[in-house]
Amino acid sequence: MLLPQHNYLQPASLNECLMALQDAGEFGQIVAGGTDVIFNMRLKLFRPKTVVSIRRLTELMQVEELPDGSLRIGAACRLTDLAENPIINDRFPAFSESIRSVASTHIRNMATLGGNICLQTRCWFTNNSQQWRQGKESCFKTDGDICHVIKSSEKKCHAINNSDTPVALIALNAELTIQKSGAKRVLPIADFFNDDGIEFMKLCPDELVTHVTIPPCNDRLIFSKYAARKGIDFSIGSIAARCNGEGEQTDKVSLILGSLSTAPIKLTKAAEIIQTKGLTDGAIEQAADTVRGDLGEVTNLYSRAVYKKQIARVLVKRTLTHLKNM
Amino acid sequence: MPDSRKGGEIRQVSRGVTTPDVDTAMPDPEIQQRQKAMELSAIGKRQPRLDGPEKVSGRSLFTDDVQLPGMLYGKILRSRHAHAKILKIDASKALALPGVKAFITGDDSEKVFANQYEPAISKGVTHYIGEEIAAIAAIDEVTAEQAIELIDVEYEPLPAVTDLRKALRPSAPRINPYHDGNVASHNIDNYGDPDQAFEEADLIFEDKLATHPTHNLYSEFHVVLVDWSFPDKLTMYTPTQSGYLFQKKLSEAFGLTDSQIRIVHLNTGGAFTGRGLLRPHHYIAALLSRKTRRPVKIFSAGDEEFLTCRAGGDNDYVVRTAITNDGVIKGFEIEGIMDCGAHAAGLSYLSAMAGNYQARLFKIKGLRFNRKCVITNQRPNFFHHGGMMTGLNAAIMQQLNRAAQQIGQDPIDMFLANAAEQGFTDIVGGTFASCGLKECLEKVRDRSGWKNKYGKLPPYHGIGVAIGSMASGVKGAFKHDTSAAMVKVAEDGIVTLYTGIPDMGQGTHTTMAIITAEVLGCDAEDIRLVAGDTETTPLDVGAFTQRGTFTTGNAVRIAATDARDQIAKVAAERLGVTPDQLVFRDRKIMVNSDRNRNMGFGEAAYACLHSREGRFVMGNGFYNSPLKYGTLAWSFGAQVAEVTVDPETGEVQLTRITVAHDLGRAINPLAVEGQIDGQIFSGMSQTLYEECETDNGQFLNPSRLEYKMPRTYEMPQVEYIIVESVDPYGPFGAKEVGEGPIVVTVGAIAAAVSNAVGAFMPEIPMSPWRVLRVIHQNGDGSGSD
Repeated sequence: MLLPQHNYLQPASLNECLMALQDAGEFGQIVAGGTDVIFNMRLKLFRPKTVVSIRRLTELMQVEELPDGSLRIGAACRLTDLAENPIINDRFPAFSESIRSVASTHIRNMATLGGNICLQTRCWFTNNSQQWRQGKESCFKTDGDICHVIKSSEKKCHAINNSDTPVALIALNAELTIQKSGAKRVLPIADFFNDDGIEFMKLCPDELVTHVTIPPCNDRLIFSKYAARKGIDFSIGSIAARCNGEGEQTDKVSLILGSLSTAPIKLTKAAEIIQTKGLTDGAIEQAADTVRGDLGEVTNLYSRAVYKKQIARVLVKRTLTHLKNM
Repeated sequence: MPDSRKGGEIRQVSRGVTTPDVDTAMPDPEIQQRQKAMELSAIGKRQPRLDGPEKVSGRSLFTDDVQLPGMLYGKILRSRHAHAKILKIDASKALALPGVKAFITGDDSEKVFANQYEPAISKGVTHYIGEEIAAIAAIDEVTAEQAIELIDVEYEPLPAVTDLRKALRPSAPRINPYHDGNVASHNIDNYGDPDQAFEEADLIFEDKLATHPTHNLYSEFHVVLVDWSFPDKLTMYTPTQSGYLFQKKLSEAFGLTDSQIRIVHLNTGGAFTGRGLLRPHHYIAALLSRKTRRPVKIFSAGDEEFLTCRAGGDNDYVVRTAITNDGVIKGFEIEGIMDCGAHAAGLSYLSAMAGNYQARLFKIKGLRFNRKCVITNQRPNFFHHGGMMTGLNAAIMQQLNRAAQQIGQDPIDMFLANAAEQGFTDIVGGTFASCGLKECLEKVRDRSGWKNKYGKLPPYHGIGVAIGSMASGVKGAFKHDTSAAMVKVAEDGIVTLYTGIPDMGQGTHTTMAIITAEVLGCDAEDIRLVAGDTETTPLDVGAFTQRGTFTTGNAVRIAATDARDQIAKVAAERLGVTPDQLVFRDRKIMVNSDRNRNMGFGEAAYACLHSREGRFVMGNGFYNSPLKYGTLAWSFGAQVAEVTVDPETGEVQLTRITVAHDLGRAINPLAVEGQIDGQIFSGMSQTLYEECETDNGQFLNPSRLEYKMPRTYEMPQVEYIIVESVDPYGPFGAKEVGEGPIVVTVGAIAAAVSNAVGAFMPEIPMSPWRVLRVIHQNGDGSGSD
């Protein structure tokens, strides 16, 4: 499995990089650590004409505390550096946990935060080699006309968003800075993902996620991930749970589930129950019972749907119980 | 499982006789006494593997490191259909690509079979997704990959059957011309008197267990490089468990003599039952090399590896135990339906072995094994590490643990009362010259704290015990089961050992160096090895059926003794004694009664050469079991596994495992622990994790990422107990430790999980979702029924 032919650019400045992206247009592909992009290119999942590396953009490798107490993180920061960053460990331990849960040390030594946020959605069909895929009809994501995972009249790709850090970042109300040549915009990360396996993020081909800004957070916050094994593995389900108050008392709750759909899922019903009744054992059970309903259609990707629903329930129950005792 | 389907010829055999040329019924007790009393120096030391520094620093050479001048890259076109006619293969576009040097199809390889029924390249019809239907050779990988994409194939799909139960239905499509009714073989093995055994039983337990497809997951993927530039010499570089078998098979396929074939196996990155036989890509590389007169390399890229490997398939077992109310195990009856995949190869033989091994553990009256190998449109299957013994052991040990519980006995007490022992002649007809099974059981009971735990654990905590046996080498593939060795002693006293046994990571080369060092009184570090090349090493049948330490070890011992005798003759003269009065120790040759009278080992080797005789010391040896077929030495083991089960996620955590293995004698305790660690890991992985998920014959998770195998984080606490029964036939009393433990590990974990959830676990792997399903079906699972 070799890389398809492509031009490789390694701009030395952000401006140069944005211009390169503009030139490449829809045939361009940003690469940072390459732990996901290179692999997908080998699978011939995409064949970009121009690959633009952001590995030399030192301006995107800083972690700064802003005057308002926010933390601004460059998108090209390596996950290993962030996992070891004392400010992140001290102020946002749950985010730190989500970083450490990604893949393995070796992969985190290469992978970047921006790359993890923009991680390509995953599916058993698309994430196999081209020769393997020829055993079945092409799917929506591979320019075909069906989805192998959920067959319905709806023309939708059900590949899952299997990324861990966005789950914690959504709970933290983080914002993304997105730049293109001559323009800049800021978007809450909660609005960044689409419920579609192909157009899974709101990012144009000429745009680059440059920074992640996390506002101060004094609430209780937990990130937790369930996977088949304890390392180098994608989540079967992951969760970030946040609430204010102490003990059972709380009136502001946010629950985000990852890896169960094409985008992270906000559990509104469960959050409402806890907001109303507090973190009592009864309310936690009741909240956990609503999860299945909020999940919508769950695919059999990487585990059985019925099992994934059970895992989602357990994650909610255990994380809320943990929050109560924090 | 009665079967009268046409063509499904049932071979019913009463087994129970091995006809040895020697009397295996207990050798002279004096020999055993002498083996036990040996004064040893190199053996028993914790010796790090000699090639360790080379391996961890990346300097060891593997097949893919080899580049030959003018080398081409081969690439295989694989079937997209589980079953289809191949109407047309059009390679005109591929051949027009600059750099493409050859293109072959089934037409070029009609008489070449990878195995008895498996064509190297399938012609006219394809039997499974991934089957080889054409191949090209090109000047580089990029061109080869592009060329493959340019080949147009016209298929006419045929009805496919990928489920082994459906393949047996009368309406099932016929998959290949060789097997009527899709039955590759159907045998009923009767050991002892199974009917009488069930007659005498008060209770009969019956359970079903299914296993699923696997991959051997060695670290080095399949790769081959063939240089057949000149018609009278074929050189093949490839990882293998046996250079000798490869030589034999290639000479048959291509009409060459054995000596015209050279197999270079360098280092082999793991095997786990997966590298004993040639695969189609080996033959395809040879065909391409013959056609182009240039060396051709083929390697399995990514998911191709999962199609190239021949690991476990879907197997269904029904196991019955006959037992009395007071815990006397009378016998077993096993029915097995096994998925051979599209082409039968070796599965029948291996399943016979599995039944045979289970028959030897207890003093039972009879065992019947009704085994049927089925053809389906799946990848051809063989077995994973531990062979079919793992699945069977998982079923039988779960059943026995539960049977003991039901009749109110402690399973270990029940096992002890029924276990085989030294001198016992089993229903297969073998007699154990050494057997530490009971000692293993007693030791795991005491070390694990069994008596304080069994029946006293909180809910969803489980403990289970299992036992197993394993042959140290099985004669049967050829008339001989020979390993040969040569030992050269240079005039500077440096010893070189020539051996054909492949080191696939099990550390056998270090073991052989230790045996040589022991005989010659040197350090293992003084021994250089020449290995991994059939042209420079003497014959060795190879590293399978656990024959390495026992058979090759004996050959090495004999070769080293031959060299020692040559040196002793000269040294004895110099020291003014007879050779039998000499001791070789600490790189010296000493007079036994007065060890101050001595000379250096190197000095003696120098003296041999620089003499009138001018002797250059070269010792030769070979070993071939004196049995006509079968096994001289059996190893035994017992293990206690402890698990916790998360009742909400179904996740099983193996917390602790206590392992006792009777391996005769530990040549290198460090390597023994390494072997045990590796097998606990793989046993845990097979029991709880590994599975090729399939969809109509296509593997859904053909990668190391998605084919879930645990990592070292999941390793439990391991308690090692080495039991040394000192076998009279083994080199310095040694027996195998390379596959015995894993069979027991799988049984012990299965029994422990079953104990934790209070139900028989009907499937392997016990993936969390399956465990959860069992828990939901069985109520609260409070740890008892």
